[in-house]
Amino acid sequence: MRHVGALAGRELRSLFVSPVAWVVLALWSLLAGFFFLSQWMQFEADVLRLQQVGAFVELRALNLNDDLLVPFFGAMWVVLLFAIPGISMGLLASEKANRTEELLLTTPISISEIVLGKYLAGAAFASAMVAIVAFYPGLLFVYGDPEWGKTLSGLLGLWAVSLSYVAVGLFASSLTRNLLVAFFVSLGLLMSLLMLPLLAELGASGPAFSSGDAAAEILRWLSTAEHFERMAMGWIDTSDLFYFVAFPAVFLILARTSIESSRWR
Amino acid sequence: MRHAPYHPARPMDGSAPEASEVPAVEARGLSKRYADHSAVEDLSFAIYPGEVVGLLGPNGAGKTTTMRMLTGYLPPTEGSIAIAGFDIFEDPIEARRRVGYLPESPPVYPEMRVEGYLRFVATLRDVPRRSRREAVAKAIARCGLEAVRRRAIGSLSRGFRQRVGLAQAIVADPPVLVLDEPTVGLDPLQVREIRTLVTGLAKGGATRGPTVLLSTHILREVEALCQRVILIDRGRLALDAPIAEVTAGGRSLEDVFAEVTASDVEAERGR
Repeated sequence: MRHVGALAGRELRSLFVSPVAWVVLALWSLLAGFFFLSQWMQFEADVLRLQQVGAFVELRALNLNDDLLVPFFGAMWVVLLFAIPGISMGLLASEKANRTEELLLTTPISISEIVLGKYLAGAAFASAMVAIVAFYPGLLFVYGDPEWGKTLSGLLGLWAVSLSYVAVGLFASSLTRNLLVAFFVSLGLLMSLLMLPLLAELGASGPAFSSGDAAAEILRWLSTAEHFERMAMGWIDTSDLFYFVAFPAVFLILARTSIESSRWR
Repeated sequence: MRHAPYHPARPMDGSAPEASEVPAVEARGLSKRYADHSAVEDLSFAIYPGEVVGLLGPNGAGKTTTMRMLTGYLPPTEGSIAIAGFDIFEDPIEARRRVGYLPESPPVYPEMRVEGYLRFVATLRDVPRRSRREAVAKAIARCGLEAVRRRAIGSLSRGFRQRVGLAQAIVADPPVLVLDEPTVGLDPLQVREIRTLVTGLAKGGATRGPTVLLSTHILREVEALCQRVILIDRGRLALDAPIAEVTAGGRSLEDVFAEVTASDVEAERGR
């Protein structure tokens, strides 16, 4: 495992030499600013409206966490859906396109080390993205008093989602030598994972799942959405934490298997 | 015509390797089959420490596939490979540790600088941290890369990129070097430089140099560099003998090459 650091470091340096990383970071920051601003304006408009009509009970219920940060984190989660595949698409596919895969697979390092090194590089980048998002709630703490616990829980949720998405993207990147294919495969996978609860609801009303809700429950559990939403609301449950450890682990193992098997074809 | 495989007991330009020595590279019954064709079929040979061997054959004979199997990049369909006694399947890490490999196209990251790239490869190849700088400097000096050490590899000419590929193969000072067409696509001057480099490598310094297996389809290159030739044709071993023996009696390597290939064409016709 001693090569993981060298692999991750090289990958990160290469990411920052390529324009892709900078474009993703720039767009990400821009969208974070845009969504924060629009949520904040919405919040202010709500406050004004409730004051004008004198709805003091509703006004008291309005708070920075539930009515500003939760929708803000939700919007950034949707952006993650597109941003992470942009970063992860090259992790393994570019090694194939570049023919440097032949170098990695003939040096005395294991495939697990390659997968972990690549994952760490992508995870570090995703963490930087979440850190940029964390700047905006930070502003709220300067001018207002949102709840610490709820804010951190939401950020933790966003971070966990981004790390899971990197693992999915890494797996997609292991399947092909074409960066665009890797991008769309990971986007497709992430979208399908989002659709799972929808599928569960469709199924629950149809004949397929009519007998038991167990299958629907499993589909719902498998989806990232449920777990993220709970964390954004400020619930940290061991079941959710377990999900965010098991989920990337499964995709890392898949990526490892995919590299291993591609050599036999 | 099928030649008897080379055996170290046979004298070879005066300095025959000892029969008891563990081969640096040993391939036994190597085959690589794909769904619709067979790239390499039942290939066996042994290369002994310090030998410089040329792997010859027409285009598509299976040279690259053979080298990819020897370096552990492609698993063979059948057969076994041992590097200095380490099986490439059972002990892949130990086996790969002993092989420096220059693939068909140099495996370089265009955005990296020459020095940083070599340091990266040295790290992957377990050169200890304290001697890494020295190992990189040595590889740069041996491959004549001093002038471009801080340049991005992508901005280098093809000849220099090939040198970087070679530097990458030797940076950890492995006992075995596998070089896949080290001079392909280079101009005559660059070809000469790479050849000088390979000869210099093989001679080593005070100690015995590395075992070298290099593939090419340039016959003069083999005559200039190697003591022994392994000729493969359509995936099968066609000849394995010391150069001195092949060219005995005034025959050129080209005659032998043509003879083996021609006999194959006849075999095809006779089928």
